[in-house]
Amino acid sequence: MTMYNLTTDQRVDEALANNFLRQATRRATDRLRNNKYKASEELGNWEQWRSAGESIRKHVISNLDFYLNQLIEQMEQRGVHVHLAKTPADAVGIVRNIVREHDAKNVLKSKSMISEEIHLNHALEEDGVAVVETDLGEYIIQIAGEPPSHIIVPAMHKTRQQVADLFEPIAGYALSSDTPTLTRFVRIQMREQFLRGDIGITGCNFAVADTGSIVMVTNEGNGRMVSTLPRVQITLMGMERIVPSFRELDVMLNLLARSATGQRLSSYTTILTPPKKTADSDGPEEYHLVILDHNRSEILGDKLFRTALNCIRCGACFNVCPVYRQLGGHAYGSVYSGPIGSVITPLLEKDWKKWGHLPYFSSLCGACSEACPVRIPLHDLLVKLRMRKTQSGHTPQVEQQIFKAYRYFFTREKTLRRALRLGAHLQWPFVRNHRISGGPPPLSNWTKSRTLPMVAPKPFMQVWADLNNKR
Amino acid sequence: MSNTNDFISHLASKLGRSTPAQTPPPVDISVPQYRLSNSEERVSIFLQNWQALGGKGAIVRSSDETLQCLKAWFGDLPLNWLKDNHQALVAWDMLPTVAESAFSTLNWPLTRYTQSTLDPRDRYSIAAHAELGITGSDLGIALSGTIVMNSDPLRGRAVSLLPPRHLAFIETTKIRNNLFEVLEEVSVLGTPPAAIEMISGPSRTSDIEMDLSIGVHGPIEVYVVVIDN
Repeated sequence: MTMYNLTTDQRVDEALANNFLRQATRRATDRLRNNKYKASEELGNWEQWRSAGESIRKHVISNLDFYLNQLIEQMEQRGVHVHLAKTPADAVGIVRNIVREHDAKNVLKSKSMISEEIHLNHALEEDGVAVVETDLGEYIIQIAGEPPSHIIVPAMHKTRQQVADLFEPIAGYALSSDTPTLTRFVRIQMREQFLRGDIGITGCNFAVADTGSIVMVTNEGNGRMVSTLPRVQITLMGMERIVPSFRELDVMLNLLARSATGQRLSSYTTILTPPKKTADSDGPEEYHLVILDHNRSEILGDKLFRTALNCIRCGACFNVCPVYRQLGGHAYGSVYSGPIGSVITPLLEKDWKKWGHLPYFSSLCGACSEACPVRIPLHDLLVKLRMRKTQSGHTPQVEQQIFKAYRYFFTREKTLRRALRLGAHLQWPFVRNHRISGGPPPLSNWTKSRTLPMVAPKPFMQVWADLNNKR
Repeated sequence: MSNTNDFISHLASKLGRSTPAQTPPPVDISVPQYRLSNSEERVSIFLQNWQALGGKGAIVRSSDETLQCLKAWFGDLPLNWLKDNHQALVAWDMLPTVAESAFSTLNWPLTRYTQSTLDPRDRYSIAAHAELGITGSDLGIALSGTIVMNSDPLRGRAVSLLPPRHLAFIETTKIRNNLFEVLEEVSVLGTPPAAIEMISGPSRTSDIEMDLSIGVHGPIEVYVVVIDN
């Protein structure tokens, strides 16, 4: 995965130079956003739904210990194996062991962001296990060896020709690049995999605490395949993904489907209460639920950021974000991109060196907060993350120097006057149309793409003084 | 398990209190729910939404009308399928009476999925090679054009999933206004079945250049017969 080796600036430059990517990102986000507008309007009083969604999520998160315990009890009573994973490495180890115990060679996966978060596929492949991503978009990026570029449409950055080229070695012949041909190829190819799968791994959109159920939504039906056909199923869930009962599930499913794709309900909404009954003909006999913490408990204990756990992963914030819409997901460098990715990645990964750039992938316009179906104040959290980063001493040298200089001049009136006079003279080589449009680094980082106002020929301090004199 | 206790008490400590012993009082939910005034309207909106998603749908009042409807949709195709594969029509063990009698009059023999063979892999293979999967439905949702099916030993989840076509029967009395009513009814029953499948139209994806494409994994064609009795 070459993009992981690039610096943030390199990734951003690459994204900005990729015209197809930028067009595709705009197309996808426009489409999803407009569909969401339609679907939210027709529901009648969307704000009431958002408000209900927000209260439900807040209630769950502030009682997470109770509901998680209830979920685990319900599951274990019925014979589901529940595994608690503190870290991504724990989660990977748990899955690896299950796969080994069953001597499984073919693992089928439906979409799971947790599996991306813990980098599961790679680990299983090392053990010689064939892991097949069955969601079409995930399948495409799996072959390409890339992380998702959008949380809902993970391969939206690929052209149809690129997709056809990726499929060619698997098909053994060149495919034409029209959508029906590509889809049909995947249907046939994947069918054999589905019927052969030893273990199915799925994600989890919601877990219902009082019944011990797992809710999964897909449009392709791959989630149903993976949770119906293999004898053993593993579901990966982030520990915050809970609703108390079916009563709250109604609100959350309405918000999720409408915010994600503008559908009233996804094509397939599946409520699993595993394992299968003895007499049932289909469904897994053995069911494992892996619940991941990975610093979510730290976020829970951090009052400033607790609301970040309210997210339902609908992707609505991606589609309205001016930064995401210009760059697409790969420039972020993280598994979760977009506004919510910029919030949770630094909190989950706890590595400012690697993820310190993310809180700055935002214009703080607040469109994300307005789009969020559970009203997470995303832009506000981004500002607070910047504060955290600065407090932890991870500010870049240049920024530190600039603020030192700022303090130096603004606490010395005479020096400041002198500097302003000097600046007013020195700026001329860089001024075009009364704006500063060039300059030495670090100023050039700004002026490469934007301009700055000129240093006023007569500084404000002077104007003020003159006004006072006139009176 | 102490592992669970540690995990949970760690969360309690992060929340700065001990874990509540009782279920916390539920949050107030007041949202405007979609409601239609009568069953006729519900049926018509249900069909309209199902068709908008790309499904075919019709209302029938008798076994004869069911037969006419199936004839109109499939013509002589099933007879041709059956020539190549005598298990081309796979069904639940029991279908609504009008459906059963229509199929027997048409002389389209149904393979009962759960009784077809003992080995699950062979069963999947039969369903995967079938041309049409035939099921009933437990509930329907007008607002989203959705059919709801509970898993059951006499049914089989693969029947609505593996064949390229899915035909479902639903009685008018089972169609509800919205998802809330469906979930409310399901919760009254106590422990839910192993799987509740809510299906809204055919399998779809827009993963390649946001271009809508039907039938990547699940059924490509979906049909619903609403029985008005």
